[in-house]
Amino acid sequence: MRRHLRLFALYFAQYAKVRLAYKADFFIAFFSSMTATVIGFGFVLVLFTKIPTLQGWSFYEILFLYAFSLVPLGFFNVVSWNLYEFGDIYIIQGHFDRVMLRPVHTLFQVLFEKFRLESLQEVVTGLVVITVCRHRLGIVMSALDDAWFVLMILSAVLIYVSVFLILTCASFWFEDRVGIVPPVFNMLTFGRYPLTIYNTFIQFMLSWVIPFGFASFYPTTHFLGRSAYATYFHLTPLVAAAFSLLAVVVWNRGVANYSSTGT
Amino acid sequence: MGAALLVREPSPRSYRPALLGTLRTYGEFVRMGFVDTLAYRLRYYTGIVTYFIYVSVYYFIWKAIYEHGTAIGGFDFPQMMTYVAVGWIIRSLYFNNIDQDLATQVSEGTLVMNLIKPVSIQGALIATALGQSAFRLTMLTLPTTLVLFVVFPVRRPASLLQFAAFSASVVLSFFIVAALNFAVGTLAIRLLSILGLLRAKYFLLELLSGLLIPISFFPRIFQQALNFLPFQYISYIPLLIYLGKLSGAAAWKALGTQAFWALALVALGDAMWRWSSRKITVQGG
Repeated sequence: MRRHLRLFALYFAQYAKVRLAYKADFFIAFFSSMTATVIGFGFVLVLFTKIPTLQGWSFYEILFLYAFSLVPLGFFNVVSWNLYEFGDIYIIQGHFDRVMLRPVHTLFQVLFEKFRLESLQEVVTGLVVITVCRHRLGIVMSALDDAWFVLMILSAVLIYVSVFLILTCASFWFEDRVGIVPPVFNMLTFGRYPLTIYNTFIQFMLSWVIPFGFASFYPTTHFLGRSAYATYFHLTPLVAAAFSLLAVVVWNRGVANYSSTGT
Repeated sequence: MGAALLVREPSPRSYRPALLGTLRTYGEFVRMGFVDTLAYRLRYYTGIVTYFIYVSVYYFIWKAIYEHGTAIGGFDFPQMMTYVAVGWIIRSLYFNNIDQDLATQVSEGTLVMNLIKPVSIQGALIATALGQSAFRLTMLTLPTTLVLFVVFPVRRPASLLQFAAFSASVVLSFFIVAALNFAVGTLAIRLLSILGLLRAKYFLLELLSGLLIPISFFPRIFQQALNFLPFQYISYIPLLIYLGKLSGAAAWKALGTQAFWALALVALGDAMWRWSSRKITVQGG
């Protein structure tokens, strides 16, 4: 464990150095990316100039939900770079051979070889907006709530990584790029609004098939005082653990199935 | 340009009108865009799903909003659903990646191959994008239209004449988006990584084109400001024509303004290209 933490720090520092070699460029990337995230709130902001509530959810509650979904997504985006390119770079170009020769778990290496540093702005933006909403809504959080908050963010990150890791694993069996990732990625949008506005089919899908509901909506219900979802809220870490386990199992089976392209 | 073509490809009829030659050159780029995309046709099946998801999300949001209300911002629910669905349908058509393509060509150095060709870079990229759009029309736009009309309560165009005006308007939208993307893409030459900028542009266009929410929902002062900008001519204006909210002289005026913006943005892209390309250094081969 300690060795892995040290390796993670080294990987991260190494990549940060590469990225910060061109400082001005990095900061332009960081701030333009942040602008993009802020503009993303535009739909909700404009919408609420015309309507008072969305099915009983106030402006700041919707904003809280939207901002909350950004925080784990930001962390996920920081490490997901290699997942997007996995099929092309690691399988087709054969870089996975190198990964397999090293005495660290393959998944650890693939996730942490490259970071999309500027995505940390999503975490920052999300937390800032959450703080504003908390003040506006008068939400007081106890130390226990804070702990839950951190646990929920962690669970949500695990859910995002697991779902996309499972999809990435398809590359072990099908060499051609499988176009299933973009539609699933777009399903993230569903999680930015109260699950209750969708029909039962979508609610079921987002809870038990692609559990994005557990990465945004259910975690926020507790902080917004919607006790009707308490069970789902408390299930979140379990769902995250179960999907992580599943993802690791699928990954290991994929690695066992890997045969080099020989290039 | 016509002359350059003649040098490359001498024909027995040695004199050919310059315009025709130009059209043939760029027609070739259109064809290449079409054929190149053909190779990746598998991706378009999932594209249909992606667009279906987009429309579904907004269907449920608007349904929840219109639960009690009758008309908001001048739209009732059936109009709003038509607005959203047709909005995404035309987006599948006018959308292109010229900015990203240009950025990739800069970072990979393949730009050189295009610099030595006797064509305008902007013209070549827009022509290629036109070919891609023509391809998407059959593989993405039409199937998506079919699915959305079956699943969601989407209305047909206000009239045949309105549909004709709407079609012309969408073609102009394509040129506005293409020219805008090219102008943004030229910045790639000055910056090392342009991805953050492209993401910002992406979200800005989604919002200010009226794709996500009609411009009439914006606060008045924003609406007035947006009147002086090209963005609402990408999505909002064609959709108003489709719904019959813009007709007659007003529709003609809107089409004229669209054409103006398309030309103005092409000119802007050209100027920015000339400004940016002075900085080009090609790294190796």
